[in-house]
Amino acid sequence: MKLQTINRRQLLQQTGGGFGWLALQTMLRQQSAQAAEEKLSDHPARAKAVIQIFCPGGMSHIDTFDYKPALANRAGTPFDPTGKLQFFGSKPGNCQPTFWPFHQHGESGLWMSELFPKLAKHVDDIAFIYSMHSKTALHGPACFMMNTGFTLPGFPSMGSWVTYGLGSESEDLPEFVVLPDPLGLPPGGTINWGAGFLPAVHQATTLDSRSGYQPINDLFPPKSFTEVDEKSDQAGLDFLKTLNSQHLANRQGNKDLEARMSAYEMAARLQLSAPELTDLTLESATTHQQYGMGDEVTEPFGRQCLLARRLVERGVRFVQIYCGAENTQAREIRPNWDSHEDIVRDHGYWGRVLDSGASALLNDLQQRGMLDETLVICTTEFGRQPAAQAKRSTGRDHNAGAFTSWLAGGGIKGGVGYGATDELGFKAVEKPTYCYDLHATALHLLGIDHTKLSFYHNGIARRLTDVHGHVIPEIIKSL
Amino acid sequence: MNANPPTHFRFIYVVLWASQLVQIAVAAPVDFVRDVAPIFQQHCVHCHNESKTSGDLSLSQSKGLRELDLIVPGKPAESSLLDAIIAEEGEASSMPEEGTPLTLKQVEVIRQWIAEGAKWPADFVVQQKAKADGTWWSLQPVAEVSLPDAKPTRSSHPIDLFIQRRLNKEGLTSSIPADRRTLIRRVYYDLIGLSPTPEAVAEFLADHNPDAYERLVNRLLDSKHFGERWARHWLDIAHYGDTHGFERDKLRDNAWRYRDYVIRSFNADLPYDQFLREQIAGDVIAPEDAKSVIATGFLAAGPWDYVGQVETKSLKIRRAARALDLDDMVTQVMTATMAMTVNCARCHDHKLDPITQKEYYQLTAVFAGLKRSDRVISEESRKAYEAEKTRLETAINRVEVEIGQAEGRVFNLADVVGNGNGLGAGKKDLGIDARSGKFQDRPYGDLGNVKPGNYAGCTNQFIDGVFVPAGERTQITSTELFATDMPANSGKAWDMIRNGPVSSQFSTTFGEIDYNLNGHSMIGLHANAGISFDVNAIRNVMIEIDSAREEVAAIKFSTVVGYGGKTVAPSAEFRIYLDGELQTSQRIGRNAAISVDFQIPQKAQFLTLISSDGGNGYGHDQVSFGDPHISRTVPLELTVQKKQQLAQLRQERGKLKQELATLGEPPILYGVVAEKPPAVHVLLRGDPETAGEEVSPGGLSWSETPRIFGDQQLGEGERRLALAEWIVDPSNPLTARVIVNRLWHLHFGYGIVGTPSDFGYGGSQPSHPELLDWLAAELIRQNWSLKAIHRLIVTSETYRQASLRQESAVVQDGTDPKLVDSDNRLLWRMNARRLEAEAVRDSVLAVSGNLNQTMYGPGYRDFVYKEAYAPIYTYKTADSPELWRRSVYRFVVRTTPSPFMTALDCPNPANLTPKRNVTTTALQSLAMYNNDFMLRQSRYWAERIQREADEPDAQIDRAFQLAFVRSPTKLELASARKLIADQGLLHLCRALLNANEFVYLD
Repeated sequence: MKLQTINRRQLLQQTGGGFGWLALQTMLRQQSAQAAEEKLSDHPARAKAVIQIFCPGGMSHIDTFDYKPALANRAGTPFDPTGKLQFFGSKPGNCQPTFWPFHQHGESGLWMSELFPKLAKHVDDIAFIYSMHSKTALHGPACFMMNTGFTLPGFPSMGSWVTYGLGSESEDLPEFVVLPDPLGLPPGGTINWGAGFLPAVHQATTLDSRSGYQPINDLFPPKSFTEVDEKSDQAGLDFLKTLNSQHLANRQGNKDLEARMSAYEMAARLQLSAPELTDLTLESATTHQQYGMGDEVTEPFGRQCLLARRLVERGVRFVQIYCGAENTQAREIRPNWDSHEDIVRDHGYWGRVLDSGASALLNDLQQRGMLDETLVICTTEFGRQPAAQAKRSTGRDHNAGAFTSWLAGGGIKGGVGYGATDELGFKAVEKPTYCYDLHATALHLLGIDHTKLSFYHNGIARRLTDVHGHVIPEIIKSL
Repeated sequence: MNANPPTHFRFIYVVLWASQLVQIAVAAPVDFVRDVAPIFQQHCVHCHNESKTSGDLSLSQSKGLRELDLIVPGKPAESSLLDAIIAEEGEASSMPEEGTPLTLKQVEVIRQWIAEGAKWPADFVVQQKAKADGTWWSLQPVAEVSLPDAKPTRSSHPIDLFIQRRLNKEGLTSSIPADRRTLIRRVYYDLIGLSPTPEAVAEFLADHNPDAYERLVNRLLDSKHFGERWARHWLDIAHYGDTHGFERDKLRDNAWRYRDYVIRSFNADLPYDQFLREQIAGDVIAPEDAKSVIATGFLAAGPWDYVGQVETKSLKIRRAARALDLDDMVTQVMTATMAMTVNCARCHDHKLDPITQKEYYQLTAVFAGLKRSDRVISEESRKAYEAEKTRLETAINRVEVEIGQAEGRVFNLADVVGNGNGLGAGKKDLGIDARSGKFQDRPYGDLGNVKPGNYAGCTNQFIDGVFVPAGERTQITSTELFATDMPANSGKAWDMIRNGPVSSQFSTTFGEIDYNLNGHSMIGLHANAGISFDVNAIRNVMIEIDSAREEVAAIKFSTVVGYGGKTVAPSAEFRIYLDGELQTSQRIGRNAAISVDFQIPQKAQFLTLISSDGGNGYGHDQVSFGDPHISRTVPLELTVQKKQQLAQLRQERGKLKQELATLGEPPILYGVVAEKPPAVHVLLRGDPETAGEEVSPGGLSWSETPRIFGDQQLGEGERRLALAEWIVDPSNPLTARVIVNRLWHLHFGYGIVGTPSDFGYGGSQPSHPELLDWLAAELIRQNWSLKAIHRLIVTSETYRQASLRQESAVVQDGTDPKLVDSDNRLLWRMNARRLEAEAVRDSVLAVSGNLNQTMYGPGYRDFVYKEAYAPIYTYKTADSPELWRRSVYRFVVRTTPSPFMTALDCPNPANLTPKRNVTTTALQSLAMYNNDFMLRQSRYWAERIQREADEPDAQIDRAFQLAFVRSPTKLELASARKLIADQGLLHLCRALLNANEFVYLD
């Protein structure tokens, strides 16, 4: 399957655009990797699109995916008898077994805790990487690392790299869309989906998933601004076209000017496509129910997941959904997975949210035959400690040494567990892997060789995988 | 490569080998670092390193060979490594695959090394050799270049001589000069970032003197806006922001001083070498000179991880965060000043440029004693500031009293409790001890040594005295008046009588008004306590001092009494007396809000407020008197003389307040504080947990001889001073070249070197190396005056030529420049350029007539800030004058950048941005067309035009002049008339702001 080439004639037919439209497309492509005619791959793509679910705050692998029965045997005994260890915010407490019982599921017999009853039905579709670890136990830098491969802010995110490499399939929607948690931004803010030094066309478009809000910034004039309406909008645009055409007449050959004219046409198409995209009334009642709509806990994330499916359906290349936020004034529970003082309360809440949305998404993609071409990734920035934290030993501290990420669809072999942590879940010991291998594998499934996708910046040809990364063949379905 | 060796090779080889063996043997024993590592470095590690492990082998570290069993120490014959590097008969050696094969001597060194046990010093890493060495072009001294010969009738401007010589060589010529309208618009934006006004354009067009353009350039270089424009470029390079970034993106309220420093420095044309010296070591050079100290804000301009450096308890995490922090500082300084990407040498030697890992840590050692922090600019500046502030506040206070007297204004008893004058001079939350009458700042709880019934005087002239009431009979004035109907009480007391709530007060809201907020006041009076005010003294302030009127105006007391504790049931009692006579009293609880309002007879001398627990325990008995005012019952009538006096006083007050405002913020800067630098080690693979050798502070040498600034004992300040002096030394080959190239890049849209912050192997090569060197030397000849270089560039014909190439002028001898040089690197025309986000926003405000030209000071905040663990920034429409300042004064938030500015390619200050991206997206169009700010400015602009022109045609012309510095064409005029007629002027304005012509420079 060849994803990126769009035949010029086809393009004209599809879009009804004119010469300026081509100019814009040319420009967009000039800003992507194929402009340099880089050959990014020597293998066919398995996935067309990616939906990445990011659970910020540090999801506990021990209470979710990574079954550690040995912890139960040592429950209540000091985790670190030497007293030498110092975690992010505390000294280790006693060994603390999972707060939710684990069971085996599916034909693969992989383990999952009772926190995810619905997701558990999908274990045979999922490949788990049990041996993830991070270079830092700080939320901000660890989120940056998971998203960009670097702990420092300012590097391009995976979505930016992918669209830089592949461009877009959609003519009417942005190529890379992020749906932040309606509560707020993740640790480190919007830099998590920035384009860094890549051309800004590859930065994510933020989609506000809340009902009743403009989904995209400035999609329409504010309602309060009464002097404008559809008619005046169009009259203004017509006049603008007159102006720009005259201006261009003396400047033939300046492709930038033509491209900028077409961008207004593209914006107009976005005004048609975005409301259609976000109009969930077009979905069946079953779908609504499946995604947990109508339940105030599960609805917000359910909306994000459903929108993700609709985006991918319409050719969007990369969608990132956040399940949790950082900069909020929420008080009663933690606004994300960062459960220092009460795992049962906070993971309990967010677990239900993720279980409902993610399982619905997998079901839905499967039912529509989209899962094979859509790579679903679920990750967090780091895991949590096998030792208890807080006065009542009800929380867990940050653990950069181990966490679990999972992938499904898009060429992933389901029912597979890759790598392992030690018997307590403290450190990844078997095939330990940073985000690099996950990134390399995702790019591979999209038909990109991660070592070839590079961009020169301040003295170095930068890559998503830095100088690291190996594709993990064990989690790829054989053809 | 030796692809087809002769068949008798092996024979010859053996013979040679045997004969050489004798010669080589004398070198024994082999030293790995001296003898073997250079061979690996030259021939092997290019493909076999930690990141590129061809054949799964890394020769960077010792474990690579061992893991693959390629060597058996002591047994060369069993070591397969040798098989790979020795050629078989008739074949080339299998390794190295690329480059020249090993010499026989090198093979023998390796054989002997294996024979001697293959010793590889622990942790020694074989580094890859850099692609460039000390002979790299940018590292050569700036050449003394003589100007190309001038040709008669052609420009003799130095820049033109270089540019045209090169064009001629390619068979090209420059384009015709740009017309004057195009030129004035271009040079305005380039130098001050704003469009010329129609008036300025008219003036320039009418100026027929031959030096009209030169004088225009001088005016612009002298403009205060010049610094605002060029500071923004420098701030990109410094990745300046007004928040920390990372997870807890806190405010940096005092970062703006550095931004102002840059603006002022550019406006004053501070010599560039001094500009750099001050930014790197200004606090060392002149610790008492505010400007010089503020300059070091440069070192702190980048992001800073509060959680990693302060909050976490894990020292390991802190070390890692600190390493990244220092990396940011080193990288910023070295790429900004010298365009050397030293950060690539953090984990290993630089792979492209001759920068060793050790040198990277030498540079780190220069900054190792620095921490980013708010700091006092200098002790002297702090003292001077505080003295001046006190002087002004005292003077304002005096005038306020005089005005209050003249006006007969409300007299606030809470202010008096704060030791004030009843007119606002008191200190919020200050208290009076009911036991002693003394003023106290800090909060108290349960008081000891309480003597109920004891009456104590007070130093404030409006307070007669204070007391803890005794039961039944208690003294309430200094004249020994007694209250004789007091309820019994516990005899205990809590905290002070406060100008505000008492300590631990549960609530300050009574009847839906929070009396602790601005605009309100309250006396906190916890049981058991009482206070008597001297009504005569108060009356004296309030009386009109007018001999013509003997009658004293009638006054009254008013307040709202509430209960600040949690208890709902009535549990505390307040009592109010005049001269010992009870006026009112009530037992109150949580929901009370009792309005009290009574006249004070002319003879009355003492007003007394009491709070009593009534005998049921004093817990939570937090009685509060909201807005306790004494005021005239009838408004004052003013005489003419009085009115004049008032006007004078008010004027004086205005002047003083203005002075206080000018005094501004306390002299605090977000900058760096210096400590004794800790030992700095090379960190193996960049890992803060594996320290290698200790290093001394130093710079880069690009040679075998290290450049060291001193030993490990060198003082913190001396380190930075040494670095600064090395950077600005005229013999430094990079500094002058780098800055003239930056100026060139910003004036032409493309640098002589296309990568302004990378002059190394990974960067691009200069298109005009001699011109670059001539400009660099010229900068130094001009005593590092940047304005001299600006003037030179913009007065060249090269800069002044048209960006549109007339087809007829294109071809000389059949050469089409678009074929020879389609990117226009040789400048056969000017480059058309898009305005940056800031210039677009500033221009919108300028045409709408709303640009607020206030310079300097704290940045404008076009967002709502909410305090939280990770603070929340929510953007709002900039729709008030204080938000209409130039964009360089924008308060820049790192984690939550402005969506509008981001859509227009404004970079995130996480990145060092030597070169901005120019992109075209649909989101940009939406932002320009639909954003609330844009729409409102369109509306303001339409209103402005309506004020300035009556007829539609005149309005259209005015709009075109403001936006494009030209009149509309016939077609444009016709379309514009129709648009105005159908939709209104606003819609014309909106469309003009969206036009390509508005955001592009020809």
